[in-house]
Amino acid sequence: MINIDLGATAISVLTLFGIYALMSISLNLEYGVAGVPNFGQALFVSIGAYVAGVTYTRLLPLLAGMESVHPCGPTMGQALQLRSEIMATQPVAGFINLALTLVIAAILSGAVGFAVSYVTLRLKEEWFLALVLLVGGETVRIVVRGADDLICSHNGISSVAQPFYFLDDVQMSSILFMLLALALALIAYLYSQRLTHSPYGRMLKGLRENEEVTRGLGKGISLARAQIMLIGSAIAAIGGVLFALNTGFVNTNDYVVTLTLDVWVMVVLGGIGNNRGALLGAALIAIMDRVTQVAAIALNMSGSPIEFNYVRFIAFGIILLLMLRYRPAGLLPESRLTTIAHETAKRLTPGKTI
Amino acid sequence: MPLLQLFNLRKDFGGLRAVDDVSLEVATGAIVGLIGPNGSGKSTLLNLIAGSAERTAGRIIFDGDEISGLSADQVFQRGIARGYQDPSLYLKMTTLDNALLPVKSQRGEHPWYAPWRRFWQKQEAENARAAAGVLEQVQLLGHYDSLASDLSGGQMKLLEMGRSLMGSPKLLLLDEPTAGVAPNLAYEIFEEISRLRQQHGITFLIVEHRLEILFDFVDSVYVMHLGNLLAHGSADDIASNETVREVYFGD
Repeated sequence: MINIDLGATAISVLTLFGIYALMSISLNLEYGVAGVPNFGQALFVSIGAYVAGVTYTRLLPLLAGMESVHPCGPTMGQALQLRSEIMATQPVAGFINLALTLVIAAILSGAVGFAVSYVTLRLKEEWFLALVLLVGGETVRIVVRGADDLICSHNGISSVAQPFYFLDDVQMSSILFMLLALALALIAYLYSQRLTHSPYGRMLKGLRENEEVTRGLGKGISLARAQIMLIGSAIAAIGGVLFALNTGFVNTNDYVVTLTLDVWVMVVLGGIGNNRGALLGAALIAIMDRVTQVAAIALNMSGSPIEFNYVRFIAFGIILLLMLRYRPAGLLPESRLTTIAHETAKRLTPGKTI
Repeated sequence: MPLLQLFNLRKDFGGLRAVDDVSLEVATGAIVGLIGPNGSGKSTLLNLIAGSAERTAGRIIFDGDEISGLSADQVFQRGIARGYQDPSLYLKMTTLDNALLPVKSQRGEHPWYAPWRRFWQKQEAENARAAAGVLEQVQLLGHYDSLASDLSGGQMKLLEMGRSLMGSPKLLLLDEPTAGVAPNLAYEIFEEISRLRQQHGITFLIVEHRLEILFDFVDSVYVMHLGNLLAHGSADDIASNETVREVYFGD
């Protein structure tokens, strides 16, 4: 048997939940609320991670007042030592670097999301965007992987430390990072909740329900959709930065299509169009991730011939099929839109007659 | 001056000429019928006016401005709203939200303002009061909180009309407003149209197959056949027009 440290497990599951929540809230805004089928979630998450890979190797030494060393090639080891040292001894440089990373990642990813969707969503079939993003994500991944200098091609960048790495108390350090992830997820949740329950959210749902009619009711749809892709992509990239910091590693192998599918499972499972559902889906997948990891290790140690890691993919496929068959609206179906309008109408309604 | 004028409007679908050099005009405040057998080009003509189909040739003048070539959302902003033959409501949204969506220049519709309620809450409450007024007029206020999918066929038609009104249009294009509605309710829908004209001064161009009802309410009628305008006149003129009877009623 293996020993499971419950405290550490809880911290890591909650951290993962915060990171997944950012990704699922992003996709829920795009697909759940606005009906834009983003099959390139891995692309936007990876933009965050790649930006982190660049800033932690180039910007961080500058912020710490040191000379930067090329992170790839012969000086790889030296560069790694340099950034570990900075993260361990200069927390202020670490925090400033993280803040700038988040801002740059959000702006870059948002710009990509806006540009791609503004061009493709003018076409009648919004599923064209889905394909563009699916292919685009993989293309960007292969290009980054092939670039020797950006994040050292297939080697990736290791020791991308989380900002509380300087603390001697390892558990305290991971608790603080967990709180950071949860705080960012909470902000994203509150923001998207307000966005959903506003006239803008109403228009997006209108676009999702019937594009032609919504256009006929005076709404310029291309811009509205590009805007929600900007917002969603920015949130996904913030999740990507945290994802990289959490694993301590930036590697193109983490941002394959399966990541996109994971986020889709979260949204479909939790409830399409419901921000709370997105949180629930993220929580369930974070827990399942950890359960399958532990089960895989336990089975491996007991000499089982089954490679349990693959069972995860099978389980996700089954969840997706069962949900779509029996509960297409998800565990928490979409709530009716409520702005102040409903209270106003309620006051003006003499007695409800239904 | 007429509110709407079409000059030699033409629409080709590949080799098929769906609308062939149609010129017509709709006077301000009038209720004008547009009739013709299936496939005569009526719905296409409405699509051309509403901007949801692109014309091949011709000009559309609305309220003194040329609007040919504008997109559907721009046409709506100018003051032309349209109803659809099939119910086009947002079924997963409430009656009230259906009515609120088309309101023009909503501050909360901008993503940068939307999260901050104080920018738009006052306007939203005003819009809600206006929506409640319109819903009351179409006898749906008691259902403001129902999902549109829970309404009856007739109620859906009324809500669709109420929704169009929320964009404060000058001209309403209706495509078979009584399709799939019980006969007694169909008459009510036209009475509603007549009231709207009187109270809000809205002009109507209506495609309708139930001529016995239509003819009770219209000021004039255009008849289309195979993409062409066949006749124009008062309801009585059209009812007694030999050519029209031939193509339309087959006798």
